[in-house]
Amino acid sequence: MAGPMEGVRVVEIGDLGELAGKLLADAGADVIRVEPPRGARSRHTGPFVADRPDVDGSLHYMALNTNKRGVTIDLATPAGVAAWRTLAASADIVIDAAGPDVLDGFGAGYASFADEPRLIWCAITPFGLTGPLRDLPANDLVSMALGGIVMMCGYDDHELPPVRPDGEHSLNIAGEYAVAGMLAALLMRSRTGSGQLLDVSIHEAVAGTTEGAFMNWEYLGRNPERKTGRHAGTVEGWQFQCADGKWAVIFGGGVPRDQKQMDALLTWMDEYDAVGDLREPQYQEVMYLRPQEGGDIRHHFVVTVQAFMKTRPLEEVYRRGQACGLPGAPVNQPEDVLSDPHWEDRGFWATVEIPGASAPARLPRAGYRFTKTPVEFRRRAPLLGEHNAEVLA
Amino acid sequence: MPGAELPLPLEGVRVTDFTWIIAGPQATRILGDMGADVIKVENESYLDAVRGADGLHNNFHRNKRSMTANLHHPQGREAVERLIAKSDVVIENFSSGAFARMGFPYERLAELKPDIIYVSLSGYGQLGRDSDYGTWGPTAQGASGLTAMSRLPGQPPAGWGYSYLDHTAGFYGAIAALMALWHRDRTGEGQHVDMSQVETGMMLAGVPMLDFQVNGRPYEAIGNHAVHPAVAPHSIYRAGGDDRWIAIAAEDDVQWRALCDALGAPALAADARFATNAARVAAQDALDAEIEQRTREEEPFALAERLQARGVLAGVCQTIEDRMERDPQLAARGFYRSAPHPAFGEHRFEGLPITFSGARWRIDRGAPLVGEHTRDVLRDVLGYADAEIDAMQAEAAV
Repeated sequence: MAGPMEGVRVVEIGDLGELAGKLLADAGADVIRVEPPRGARSRHTGPFVADRPDVDGSLHYMALNTNKRGVTIDLATPAGVAAWRTLAASADIVIDAAGPDVLDGFGAGYASFADEPRLIWCAITPFGLTGPLRDLPANDLVSMALGGIVMMCGYDDHELPPVRPDGEHSLNIAGEYAVAGMLAALLMRSRTGSGQLLDVSIHEAVAGTTEGAFMNWEYLGRNPERKTGRHAGTVEGWQFQCADGKWAVIFGGGVPRDQKQMDALLTWMDEYDAVGDLREPQYQEVMYLRPQEGGDIRHHFVVTVQAFMKTRPLEEVYRRGQACGLPGAPVNQPEDVLSDPHWEDRGFWATVEIPGASAPARLPRAGYRFTKTPVEFRRRAPLLGEHNAEVLA
Repeated sequence: MPGAELPLPLEGVRVTDFTWIIAGPQATRILGDMGADVIKVENESYLDAVRGADGLHNNFHRNKRSMTANLHHPQGREAVERLIAKSDVVIENFSSGAFARMGFPYERLAELKPDIIYVSLSGYGQLGRDSDYGTWGPTAQGASGLTAMSRLPGQPPAGWGYSYLDHTAGFYGAIAALMALWHRDRTGEGQHVDMSQVETGMMLAGVPMLDFQVNGRPYEAIGNHAVHPAVAPHSIYRAGGDDRWIAIAAEDDVQWRALCDALGAPALAADARFATNAARVAAQDALDAEIEQRTREEEPFALAERLQARGVLAGVCQTIEDRMERDPQLAARGFYRSAPHPAFGEHRFEGLPITFSGARWRIDRGAPLVGEHTRDVLRDVLGYADAEIDAMQAEAAV
């Protein structure tokens, strides 16, 4: 069985659309990544296999280009432009993540495909194709700062700078929106017969992805203040270090939301003689309070529960807490999840060959599991120019 | 409004929306913005927990319609089943298994509508030994690795100051629904999509997972620095004013000299400790201190403009106030749009970051009141007569 996007051809160019192309490729589309002869930027980015810089050894490239085919085209030559034109015209969708005007500079941009009315052309650029900042250069750090995510993330101590979460999330968010837009455009083309241009702005994508910040300003006239390990503006701590030094996070700080959860939690604490005064009636009321209510009572409850949990190892805090109905989790390192059997139960991992490494490796799939169109991993990321002959012939 | 005559990309798509809180509503928000008729099924005895957080709810439920139904009443249940039979997509984000226990396993949905697309969105998914574990955005972020990747070296995890994975799970929920629609349109085949919110976060941590497996290197916090590739300076620096910060990066020697020039710091440009990118990376803490000494009294927006004019990568760490009241790009592109709500009045909304050349997205109106469209849906979509609706309402079936 094939993924849901089998039969759709996508041509991807530039460096800002890798995740968008990957999502379509992993879902079965024939995605052809077009790179300059020296290779895409992420081939030079690393980390690298055995830390040896090599265009075919970038783990960044390998993670974000699964299931694509790869070709090299030199757009500075007439033959290169001709090859690009033939290839792009064969596609249902072009992901143009090369930057505003870059392809136009080679006579290879959207405007030059006027005779391909069915083509869907998705431009992913830092600020969009219009507006006063359209030509401003940006990287992930700048996009995350301007878009507002940075000011939402950090520590209670505002002497420390706010934090840019690692992982190129500005590109992730824009890529996810871009895929939704491309799919909608495909569905629309089935009705109308016409393709179109999609202008996806990374800045807008980030700016619209900060949850409660918007409501705080538009409705309450305030800027939320960043806090350590919890929602900006939230008072009680949610994140703490367990007895083994590992970190846990418990949403809401560990306050049960019904009697069953309350009984289970206090029974657990009783086993370690740690329940203190929490059985007193005023503390039993805490489960009926809204998160912003409860003042000292809520504070005392949370502090007592977390003081107890800090005496237990993370695994117990996580598993036993969940058994009590408390929504908690470990603060995992990315590598920690690789050995959690739950994800094996779900068939989550793709096993992918890593050129230059002694063994294949596990890569995460997207978080959807289709019953009729399972997402199968067909191939590792392409070597530089690996499919030049079969695609460009 | 210019472009108002353009079609909506998802015109004709109907979604039965059993979502609540944020992750599910983010998915149906995208579909609704692009023109799907999203009908949120609610029950007054068990309302969406973010009803009450008015602005949040309004922003995530714009364009949607609301119908109330009592699933414990046979006629209420029948109305919902008729709605499902008239829908392309059903989405819910209850705890794993809850929707099936409400009488709606995929098999039942497929009886009602053979080509139905059913997207269930839960923390750990419907399948697997921990599938009954509860999550909220912040715990899913912790479990997935994303919290640990947001941290300054030597400090505890900072995590994300909001439920990033509620947004993300919603994005993937919309993508999954659209992919399944594409497949259905070609083959006539519907399906169930089992989504895990934690997985949507793990998927974004593939690079460090590979680094660990291939090179044996556990993830190490990089804070605001850049490691792959290692370039310096690349960080967030204090600027003048109350809790104001600016992001600055120089990715090569040309940008580095331009930065020194813009800061009026020829001594820095001449400092041998910072002569090459490799040297700057090696002496990054000293470098950051030197730069911050020169940024900490500067008005951040003026400084950003000065740096940008010289080709240095720079941007103010904008608050939501900055974005909504002074960001020239968001204003010029009309990212924030106003629409009315029957109780809260006219408010702005966050837009969709996609401008279509041959279509439009919309924010026609704010979130629906509870049951605001019950009668419209029963009559216009499901074909009930007004007298039947009156009787159902009298019995509290809807």
